[in-house]
Amino acid sequence: MLKIENLHADVDGKAILKGLSLTINPGEIHAIMGPNGAGKSTLSYVLAGRPGYEVTDGSVTFQGEDLLDKEPHERAAAGVFLGFQYPVEIPGVSNVQFLREALNAQRRLRGEEPLSGGDFLKRARAQADALGLSMDMLKRPVNVGFSGGEKKRNEMVQMGIIDPTLAILDETDSGLDIDALRTVGHGINTIMRKPDKAVLLITHYQRLLDYVKPDFVHVLAAGRIVRTGGADLALELEREGYGAIAA
Amino acid sequence: MSVLTLPSTREEAWRWSDLSGLEALSAAHATGVAADLDSHWIGDGPRLLFVDGRLDAGRSRPGPVTVGTVDAASTHPLARLAGGDGWTLAVHKDGATPPGAIEIVHVATGGASHVPARIVMAEDAQASIVETYVGDGWANRLTRIELGRSARLMRAIRLVQGSGFTSLRDEAVLGAGASLVTTILGAGAGGSRLDAFVTLDGAGAYAEHGGALLARDSQRHDAAVVVRHAEPEGTSRQLWRAVADDQATTSMAARVEVARDAQKTDGEQSLRGLMLKRTATVNLKPELEIFADDVKCAHGATVGELDAQALFYMTSRGITPDRARALLTQAFIADALSRIGDEPVRDAFQAAAEAWLEERI
Repeated sequence: MLKIENLHADVDGKAILKGLSLTINPGEIHAIMGPNGAGKSTLSYVLAGRPGYEVTDGSVTFQGEDLLDKEPHERAAAGVFLGFQYPVEIPGVSNVQFLREALNAQRRLRGEEPLSGGDFLKRARAQADALGLSMDMLKRPVNVGFSGGEKKRNEMVQMGIIDPTLAILDETDSGLDIDALRTVGHGINTIMRKPDKAVLLITHYQRLLDYVKPDFVHVLAAGRIVRTGGADLALELEREGYGAIAA
Repeated sequence: MSVLTLPSTREEAWRWSDLSGLEALSAAHATGVAADLDSHWIGDGPRLLFVDGRLDAGRSRPGPVTVGTVDAASTHPLARLAGGDGWTLAVHKDGATPPGAIEIVHVATGGASHVPARIVMAEDAQASIVETYVGDGWANRLTRIELGRSARLMRAIRLVQGSGFTSLRDEAVLGAGASLVTTILGAGAGGSRLDAFVTLDGAGAYAEHGGALLARDSQRHDAAVVVRHAEPEGTSRQLWRAVADDQATTSMAARVEVARDAQKTDGEQSLRGLMLKRTATVNLKPELEIFADDVKCAHGATVGELDAQALFYMTSRGITPDRARALLTQAFIADALSRIGDEPVRDAFQAAAEAWLEERI
């Protein structure tokens, strides 16, 4: 589904990713772990197409197409979802409007009929209920006045409504208490653990992996994947620290 | 008109104005042919259609508004031209205009028109007026407003002309406890000069004057508003949102004057500018002149660009960059339009702003 080969990327002229390769097949959940500054967030932004993140070498194909050739909104329509580490507040635009616009823009680009207001609200309500976010909150401006945990839940509600093929979740677990972590973990499993979908979980800590069991764990250090293993690797990292393994 | 004497940009109050087109517009001849205007009516209340400054009686039902000679004159450089026939709305004590708003559509068909208006509201009277400017040409208007004790007037003004120029001058005097709320939307393609002098002349009066001005290409909007607190315990709000794209310029000078006796004045100015391109210009000038010592006057002025993080967030969810810019710009001006109390009117204004953004961005 996703094939990253020898990816090099710069931010502000500074090389952050230095030859990263990774293949994700349908039905798989991959976790990328690594110390601060390893390039974890850069990877997620490069995959989503954030301006200012310049690919200097390598390739990324998604479903057989060149992902790097697409604009961010085209990547979304192709099925890529980025869950933000720091979800952005957008005063004056309600969640409901934002998501309906987003979903229908994607559908238009894929040549599908837009979803009616009623159908959209039904879908939104189901996802909000599942993730413990009230419809009242969905009617409020995007992330404005939301706590850290609520913002992360909102990311998952958005993911549920948009129903992507590949979810890249950048430190979705940060800022969550244990209950919220469980809810979010359950959300990821419900929405994304399907034979035709895949997840790239970017995380600093092991604890989310208690709820979302990865098929593969990769260690990212200094812009490259230095080690790959199964779910056990996360536990080993937790026990021994990045220093020993990334060295 | 023979010779037009216009203020020069060397005068401080006109430094951001572009009146260069007025000479030609004055000399131009109106075609008098007004296209289909049905889409500009919002409700079913009284309506007046002025074509090049003259009432089109066949397409109007003036209700409480009378048309004829108006008892109003001004020394304002542009408004002084507005003599002769215009419209008058007088609302007696405790009276109210019919439900909904009185709607006035001004169509310019190429030339210049100068129309005075007067609104006189007695004690506790209420009225709501919506004015829409369309067409091509120069529409020059003077509106005198006198509000008696506790009278309430809501005004909403929409500039959606295709080209030309609209110059508005409001001169309002508010009695004790009276309320005047004026909201202006500039979402057309013509230039503008929006002048107002609002005097809170009775204790506890309330004035709001603001709006959203959107400019593109080489268009210029220029607002110059003075709110004068002459008596104590008055409240005023000036909330303006300026948007400029391309090589356009949107300027706002908003001034609050507090007289020596106007203690307990509560004044607030919020001027915010948004540049959609770096070639655009936004000028904001908040001014306070306070002679009383027990007052609360807040003012803020900021100019910026659309938030790059928000744009990326939106596009990462699938929204096209153009649409994301439109949504964020709409959100930027939403505060200003939310001041319109009447929902159908607010919706119509929001739709006009949205149409501008869709066409543009």
